[in-house]
Amino acid sequence: MTKYLINRILRGLLSIVIVVGVVMVLIYTALDKQSIFANDPTFTKMKSNRKQVYMMQEWERYGYLDYVPYGDYLLELVKSGEITQAEYDVYVKIGNKATGETPEAEKFVQKFTEYYESKGYTVEPLKADTMKGTQKYKDGGEPRLYAYKNVPILSRLWNYLTGLVKIDNIHTVEEDVGERGLTFTLYDPVYGGEKFSPAIIGNGTLHKYLVYCDDNFPYVHQNLATINLGLSYSVNQGKDVFETMTAAQGSFVKSTVTYPTGLVEETANDLHSATYAADSLSKSDLNQQYFVDDYTNITTNKDGMSKMGYSFVIGILSVILAYLLAIPMGIAMALKKDKFIDKLGTFYIIFIMAVPSLGYIFMFKAIGSSIGLPAKFDMQNPTRLMYLLPIVSLALPSIANLMKWLRRYMIDQINSDYVKFARSGGLSEGEIFSKHILKNAIIPIVHGIPASVLGALTGAIITERVYIVPGVGNLLTTAINNYDNGVIVGVTLFYALLSVTSVILGDLLMSVIDPRISFTTKAR
Amino acid sequence: MENLYNLDHLNMSEEELFSMADRDELASERITAPRYSYWQSVFRVFFKKRINIIALALLAVMLVFVYVYPMAIGYDAEVDPYINLSDSTAKHLSPAEAIEKFGFSLKWILGAGAAGESTFDAVWYGSSISVTLALVCALINMTIGVVIGAIWGFSKKIDVFMTEVYNIIANVPYILLISVIVLIMSASFWSMVFALTVTGWIGIAYFIRTQVIIIRDREYNLASRCLGTPITRIAMKNILPFMTSVIVTLAATEIPSYISYEVFLSYIGMGLKDMSLGKLIEAAQSAMVTPGWGFEFWSPVAVASIIAVVLYLVGQNLGDASDPRTHM
Repeated sequence: MTKYLINRILRGLLSIVIVVGVVMVLIYTALDKQSIFANDPTFTKMKSNRKQVYMMQEWERYGYLDYVPYGDYLLELVKSGEITQAEYDVYVKIGNKATGETPEAEKFVQKFTEYYESKGYTVEPLKADTMKGTQKYKDGGEPRLYAYKNVPILSRLWNYLTGLVKIDNIHTVEEDVGERGLTFTLYDPVYGGEKFSPAIIGNGTLHKYLVYCDDNFPYVHQNLATINLGLSYSVNQGKDVFETMTAAQGSFVKSTVTYPTGLVEETANDLHSATYAADSLSKSDLNQQYFVDDYTNITTNKDGMSKMGYSFVIGILSVILAYLLAIPMGIAMALKKDKFIDKLGTFYIIFIMAVPSLGYIFMFKAIGSSIGLPAKFDMQNPTRLMYLLPIVSLALPSIANLMKWLRRYMIDQINSDYVKFARSGGLSEGEIFSKHILKNAIIPIVHGIPASVLGALTGAIITERVYIVPGVGNLLTTAINNYDNGVIVGVTLFYALLSVTSVILGDLLMSVIDPRISFTTKAR
Repeated sequence: MENLYNLDHLNMSEEELFSMADRDELASERITAPRYSYWQSVFRVFFKKRINIIALALLAVMLVFVYVYPMAIGYDAEVDPYINLSDSTAKHLSPAEAIEKFGFSLKWILGAGAAGESTFDAVWYGSSISVTLALVCALINMTIGVVIGAIWGFSKKIDVFMTEVYNIIANVPYILLISVIVLIMSASFWSMVFALTVTGWIGIAYFIRTQVIIIRDREYNLASRCLGTPITRIAMKNILPFMTSVIVTLAATEIPSYISYEVFLSYIGMGLKDMSLGKLIEAAQSAMVTPGWGFEFWSPVAVASIIAVVLYLVGQNLGDASDPRTHM
């Protein structure tokens, strides 16, 4: 069994990798890379050469290409000791005032060009963009020189997959941060150093707090391993998809916090989220009031659930509702075949299957709001009642689907020979029903349970739009509309992972319920 | 004893009196049974239910409205929606107001839309696009799906390979694929067809494959193979009759699902550029919340639902009727 399971998991992982590869090929080769700037306000403001450089920088950040500006090349030379800082200052000025380079700079430009062209890069000099008849640059018209190379899709895929989980270690930060190391404390300084709350604090790591405790479920938290599904460009700029899905929303929650400088304040800032930001302390007076090191990049505590949280709560409750209603209904339909209840159920199933989902969701919303239920998800004053309509709307199609199949399986079992034999053997109808029919008919239904539970994590597109739920369902469609390729790949990976997991779990659950099903020997 | 004749009185020779009868070897093999024609039986069973006649009549009326009506009035999607654009009193009218303004005609019984256009005309023109899309997609997907599914089910070597392909394709989010294709190829009718069919067939093929596997190894097929029936004959004569009802039932669920899908895609902003039902629903979405403007939104929703339900009902019952087990 274990061997079979490992085989299944490996094959599942392989298929996930292929899916991500297929999606990457689709969006990175078929779509123009210019399209990511479609909704970027910074991009539209920029002009001339600066715009070109900005595009290069962003493309490098989002993994399209490898970009090396001339200045970086010179800095490397300074580091390796080939030239001095003073020389750097001279050489870095190229095409100054459109008069051409100094001979020394010319030499390094030549070297730069030769070096990178030999490595397969494209070197692109951008001439100074001056105003007509003058020597003055236009806005953003300074001359530039850089080299770039497109990243091939396979190495992109490799970089993406190897970077999925990052383990934080004390050498993560490249800058000089003093003595690197981990400290373990039983009394977390955030709570003033008196409350018992163990934490592991790192220096040189990306996150300051690697492990810490607080009052929120699951009480012990970690920043040691972070999941990077892909950087968002426009949906939630600069944030990772996973963070977009799991970060809390809503209004701020304040609590008493002791800052590293000893300052005590009532604030929503979450010191446990502190990450390293180079030079942030020395450059900001505000940060110096609060912090003693460069771990100044923090998020805030909010009272709402995350996108995924809302989707999951609504999804899981609708799954429970669907099973609670559909199983008795399906059984009743099968037992009273061709009677009124069966006809009513069949009508409902036809209705849901044939009517476009948009149609019945809006119809249900209209009915719901006409009897006074809240038809919108109001984040300002949340009530429990506002969950009701989305939950029921989401349950409608799954009820129909479950009913349809349970009825089918039940009727197949009722007509089978072993049931007739059991009846002729003198078993009571109740016994036949509970011990034979139901037990066999429920097995295929059980197979779908993991899929519906995990499916709740992905949210529902129409339901969330109609009721304005701040859930995860619309992430993919928003990302596609905004050409946010990082999010598209990340969400695809997440979906594929869930779907592979749910099939494996479904098979496992089925073999637990029904001992006749074994995956170790070949059935056929 | 008077009834007995003496043949000698007839004065005929032996040859004249008796001749050898041909002995038909096959006559004893013949079974006396009423003539059975498959398709005749299908329609006999189908028309026995009164609801089917009603549904068929509804379908006919609907098809007239979907295809003949827009053509009969010469509807032009470039011109007709904007004829009342400059008339501010012609916009967002309820049926009663529209009839009062323009006089009673079929055109105005559903009121007027955001640009003063007739909702009734727009809805039927839109449904002609949506229904055509659904029919074309269903035809392509069903054809490819059934053929590949049948081969997939028959060959064990292909089965191993195709199952892996299925596992991969089924994991690519459908919306993603469609929207990327629409983004690349622009949102025209045929790129939409391509998007819906490029992987749409694989679900159908998988379903057919399972059905073929179930029937393929039945005893009568084993017997047939032992007697030396060629595989194509087994496929055509032994398995296809079983599959007809499955295929018709599948088509009955597929066609409405494409209508539903088109509406859904338009709603999330990834649908056709043409004035399809989904596009109409999406455009009228904001009108829904305004009291009195509801007709603009509910008309296309209701028409989409009615078309889908009727197609589904006819298809399902035709599927039931085409199952030979119901012909008894």
